[in-house]
Amino acid sequence: MRKILSVIKREYIQIVRTKGFIIGTVLGPVFMLALIVVPIIVSSASVEKQETIGVVDLTNEIFMELDSKLDHGDYRLKDGFRRYVLEKFEPSPGVEEVRNELRERVLKKEISAYIYIPEDVLEAGVRESAVKDPVQEEVKAEYVSEHTTDFEELRALNRALNNVVIEKRLKREGLDPQKVAQYIKRVELQPIKITKKGEEEDTAGTFMISYFLALIIYMAILIYGQVIMRGVIEEKSSRVVEVVLSSLKPFQLMMGKILGIGAVGLTQFSIWTLFGIGASVYSTSFIPAGADFAMPSIPAHVFIYFVVFFILGYFLFGTLYAAIGSMVNSEKEAQQLVMPVTMFLIVPIMLMIFIIRAPDSSLAVFLSFIPFFTPILMFLRITVLLPPFAQIGASIVILTLTILLMIWLVAKIYRVGILMYGKRPKFAEVVRWIRYR
Amino acid sequence: MNALEIEGISKSFGDFYAVKKLSFEIPPGTIYGLLGPNGAGKTTTIRMVMNIIIPDEGSIKVLNRRMDDELKERVGYLPEDRGLYPKMKVGELLLFLAEIKGLKGSEARKEIDFWLERFDLSDWKSKKVEELSRGMQQKLQFIVTVIHQPELIILDEPFSGLDPVNTKLLKDIMLEMKEKDRTIVFSTHRMEQVEMICDNICLINKAERVLEGNLSQIKKEYGKNTVILDYDGEANFIKNFPEIEKIDDYGKFMEIKLKEKSSPQDLLPKLVGKISINKYEVKEPTLNAIFIEKVGGKEVKDEEDTISH
Repeated sequence: MRKILSVIKREYIQIVRTKGFIIGTVLGPVFMLALIVVPIIVSSASVEKQETIGVVDLTNEIFMELDSKLDHGDYRLKDGFRRYVLEKFEPSPGVEEVRNELRERVLKKEISAYIYIPEDVLEAGVRESAVKDPVQEEVKAEYVSEHTTDFEELRALNRALNNVVIEKRLKREGLDPQKVAQYIKRVELQPIKITKKGEEEDTAGTFMISYFLALIIYMAILIYGQVIMRGVIEEKSSRVVEVVLSSLKPFQLMMGKILGIGAVGLTQFSIWTLFGIGASVYSTSFIPAGADFAMPSIPAHVFIYFVVFFILGYFLFGTLYAAIGSMVNSEKEAQQLVMPVTMFLIVPIMLMIFIIRAPDSSLAVFLSFIPFFTPILMFLRITVLLPPFAQIGASIVILTLTILLMIWLVAKIYRVGILMYGKRPKFAEVVRWIRYR
Repeated sequence: MNALEIEGISKSFGDFYAVKKLSFEIPPGTIYGLLGPNGAGKTTTIRMVMNIIIPDEGSIKVLNRRMDDELKERVGYLPEDRGLYPKMKVGELLLFLAEIKGLKGSEARKEIDFWLERFDLSDWKSKKVEELSRGMQQKLQFIVTVIHQPELIILDEPFSGLDPVNTKLLKDIMLEMKEKDRTIVFSTHRMEQVEMICDNICLINKAERVLEGNLSQIKKEYGKNTVILDYDGEANFIKNFPEIEKIDDYGKFMEIKLKEKSSPQDLLPKLVGKISINKYEVKEPTLNAIFIEKVGGKEVKDEEDTISH
């Protein structure tokens, strides 16, 4: 035991002292924040410029109103200029000729797109006799451009066109569009979460926090697992392992490494937690009372389970990474073997949305009991719903038993692999290693 | 009680025998040389002693018992593949490796300072291992092997890569250790080192023991019919003499082994007048000659190159 402690101490000090650790600890939260903030900034700061759009209006009624709609403030650029300048094209001598001409202009970049409004947009959908189910009949105008992936622009033009068309239709029927707009005003269905303790919670933020914490478990296991693997490979390639093994059992070296690096991970989390608490205390003193803003808070039980499942997940995957490290000669070689292990981590991440939406479905329960998925999926269920304790306890027991089994298996692989150089072993060979005395 | 007892150990990798039915014993307080050409099975034998490889058959007793963890603290081991943690500082590295050998912190620090001083590495204590030259790393590696004052020291090719100054330093330390009743076993294919410091040797070739025992006795057994001839001129004709069993010709210097019944006294007159003789000495064979004779064949060719420089 004292020897394992020496190994733990060495691993811990060697890593905590590196620049990588210090930078990672400082930049970790910055990076996380950036992941949330940057896309928002980028999308709002996207380059906007005035565009000229040709319009072929076969109804001859829509152009004027569409033009004045797009003159409205919502559709203007930030500097106050019009975003969309419309240019009307008469369908003469014929529709096809005009469309051909406009196509040319788009390609020559004289206009950025043209909109084609067919004759029947105002009637279509309203003609009762034409089809059995008038609502089902599709009405289409066309937007023709060299690129049709700017969904912001498409949505804006679509909305403006629809408003014009609907207003026209209503007026034809003798209805007041403003009145109708009031009648069809939406009702908001607000989600309120209740728990056994009877409190009511606002669920705003639950989704984000669940997602966020599960992602942290995922990233931490991935990152620290790789650190273990790299450490094993380094010991192997620098040939120091034979010296160390003249004093230690391979098992002691492996466990010391996993525990030491795990301690590094916990240290990093503690720093972040203190940092987070500090930041929230600091920020609340600045936010005026009654302001419509609250730092999303993490309930105590969620935090405890977060730590528990991080530790368990770390052990499960840490042993796998150690095994891979012992089987290969270089990190390059390791990459192929890492793939399946990484898949065990990625699959639950892909299932996250499903679990958040249906945390109590039998499939969700089943998935959260698969040991390799438990750290992320059971934790996710806990944050969303808090399943019965029997379920949580059972999953932890299964996970722990799996970890013990893995440690037993991996120790056997590690023991042989760590002293093997040369060709990467085949699967059958690894099985033989496990059977060695 | 012997410091090391090996009895009939074998190890094969697939169809290839790395070690076959090998036995020898090492009395305590002696220096033992494990000799043999590359690939003879020396390293495999040592690894089996260190419990890194498990023998297919046979038994090994280290300090009168089977190798276990507690015993590891009483044994020092210098592996053939040298390796240290490149990113660690010298002092920290030694402290860690001493601690896992069971040394307490204060005791370890004392030993570290002593050995760094001894090997002239004190200035490097807070430098990273990777900043040290190859030679310095070799010395560091040796410190790692002996820092916990082991009773049995196992060195796999300890002299490879050392310059003459450090070779001498290492040899002196090995003899000092012997004075303190430590037992040393080391493998090598360089005979001059063995000849100077070994009490006993075991010569292995192609996985099997070829020769074993006390060095001076072995030499005696090889008898007095070896002649060292220091000469100038064309001496090739000697090879055709019937009494010659074997000649190692080094150009100006020849080690001649005569057949059992021939006498060195009869050979000398045949040479007089044909070449200019600077020295004609009757003596025990050098270990080198025994080695080459026993191992023979082409396999030693590259070994001879190493030996002769």
